[in-house]
Amino acid sequence: IPDSGHKYYLQFSTEDYRTGENAGNCLATVLYPKKKSPPVVSMKCSHTTDQKEIQEEDNRLYERLRHQTKPITGNNIPDSYGNIEPALEPVWALAVVGSSSIMWEKSAEDMGYSLAQVKSVQQWIRKDDFVEFDYTVLLHEMPTQEIIPCHMRLTWLPAHPLKVKHFCASHNHRLEDGSGVESGSAAGLSDERGANF
Amino acid sequence: HQVLRVVPKSHEELHKVQELQDLEHLQLDFWLEPRGLWDPVDIRVPFPSLQPVKAHLESGGVSYSVMIRDVQALLEEEQQQMLRSSRQLPLSTDAFDYEAYHTLDEIYAFLDLLVAENPNLVSKLEIGRSTEDRPLYVLKFSTGGTERPAVWIDTGIHSREWVTQASGVWFAKKIVEDYANQEGVASILDTMDIFLEIVTNPDGFAYTHSSNRLWRKTRSKHPGLLCVGVDPNRNWDAGFGGSGASGNSCSQTYHGPYANSEPEVKSIVDFVQSHGNIKAFVSIHSYSQLLLYPYGYTYTPVPDQQELDELSAKAVSALSSLYGTEYKYGSIITTIYQASGSTVDWTYNQGIKYSFTFELRDTGLYGFLLPANQIVPTAQETWLALKVIMEHARDNLY
Repeated sequence: IPDSGHKYYLQFSTEDYRTGENAGNCLATVLYPKKKSPPVVSMKCSHTTDQKEIQEEDNRLYERLRHQTKPITGNNIPDSYGNIEPALEPVWALAVVGSSSIMWEKSAEDMGYSLAQVKSVQQWIRKDDFVEFDYTVLLHEMPTQEIIPCHMRLTWLPAHPLKVKHFCASHNHRLEDGSGVESGSAAGLSDERGANF
Repeated sequence: HQVLRVVPKSHEELHKVQELQDLEHLQLDFWLEPRGLWDPVDIRVPFPSLQPVKAHLESGGVSYSVMIRDVQALLEEEQQQMLRSSRQLPLSTDAFDYEAYHTLDEIYAFLDLLVAENPNLVSKLEIGRSTEDRPLYVLKFSTGGTERPAVWIDTGIHSREWVTQASGVWFAKKIVEDYANQEGVASILDTMDIFLEIVTNPDGFAYTHSSNRLWRKTRSKHPGLLCVGVDPNRNWDAGFGGSGASGNSCSQTYHGPYANSEPEVKSIVDFVQSHGNIKAFVSIHSYSQLLLYPYGYTYTPVPDQQELDELSAKAVSALSSLYGTEYKYGSIITTIYQASGSTVDWTYNQGIKYSFTFELRDTGLYGFLLPANQIVPTAQETWLALKVIMEHARDNLY
């Protein structure tokens, strides 16, 4: 749209990741303004699944998480082989939802994300009704192909939207091998020296 | 417990050692009993007896060496090794677990098994060595002839894309099976050879097992650069260094200091050029469920755009027919993103018309960490698409 930006018209369907069943169809428009500001999104979806059933499932999950005697913890979900321990599956599913809110904020017309892995999760038992989780999630960024670690704190009560607070590491020039700050600056020097040769 | 070794050099020394045998309370275990002069005596000494034994030997001027500093540690290490080697036990490719992810050693052992079982069809070529000096192996499937037109397939160029190496192993077995049953690709093998490089980036692959499951690049360290590794799919001499790759060594899409700087890439370049008769070239990645043809570095369509597009449609249709998996297709730059220095841009420019890149399952739910139970379905459906491409190449030789 001249002098305004790029507008996209989308028609898509959603599916239950476990059963593959259609979970709803949506129509949306996304306007990316010329100046880099968040896109303007309008969306309308129709549900094809029984809302009552979903509420009941949510409540069951909530009760399970709420009445943990020991806080849930986990690492590497899925593991290298794509396995997710059945007991940790709900925690992974929550991470998928929570990280989608991070992706909603971070993505742009030329930048997209997927959840690569839940590096760690720690449940915090609260005195009130909310369930709370602390996550380190790894986001796969396209087209840069970078893996971005993000810290995510998630609080939830059924029938309420998930509350997500996050902090992602800034990408570019990240030291892949974790060799420490000192070697970073030393090698940085040699980077410049190399250019002079 | 330690194991001490004594080599008696005189009868007095020998006698001193023999005395130890009578001291039952020390609970010594002679792995090598005292015999004659110069015959080594090995003694396993429990911790509480170490002091008295050493004192006894020293008092007689008998020198000893510590052969094993810690017997327990050695036992534990051996346990580990045994566990590892029992995983490598497949004594035949029929016993190999295609529904699991494997280590580099296991895959390399598989290659040798496959060749041993099918010496008239399969041979293993070493086309070069990686930065960390690992052999780069290509399987050649041929029913004879000389310099036949050939198909090239590579998997695992990006090490974290584990479903691709796993699929490559499955493809290898499938080719052999089809040939034995005289069906499927057997007809292609009548007139063409198939080259398959399963672990195209073995250094990266080993690194995904040992250190970082999400490692993508090679493991080269170029002088003066901060970070390790070059994106092998940005290192080819096609639009090298242009938009669609990074000049920052720490980036996942770092193109490298110059084209073909990576031995993993150079070895394929050399192979393709010296072979001279490759007619179809397929490089396999994950994930996104896409079938892509050149170009990635420019919006200029390839001269064969229409044919490649139609062929892609057919291949994707065959793929979907098995499990309903949905693929999109098109040129790299219009379908996924701009990428310079990529494999199939180079192979196309070398005159290999049927140059394709696959992005296998899934579309992001598990991404690189695709559950192992999806390996075989992925390989099966992808194979149908590969057959469409191979058959088209066979029927449209140029």
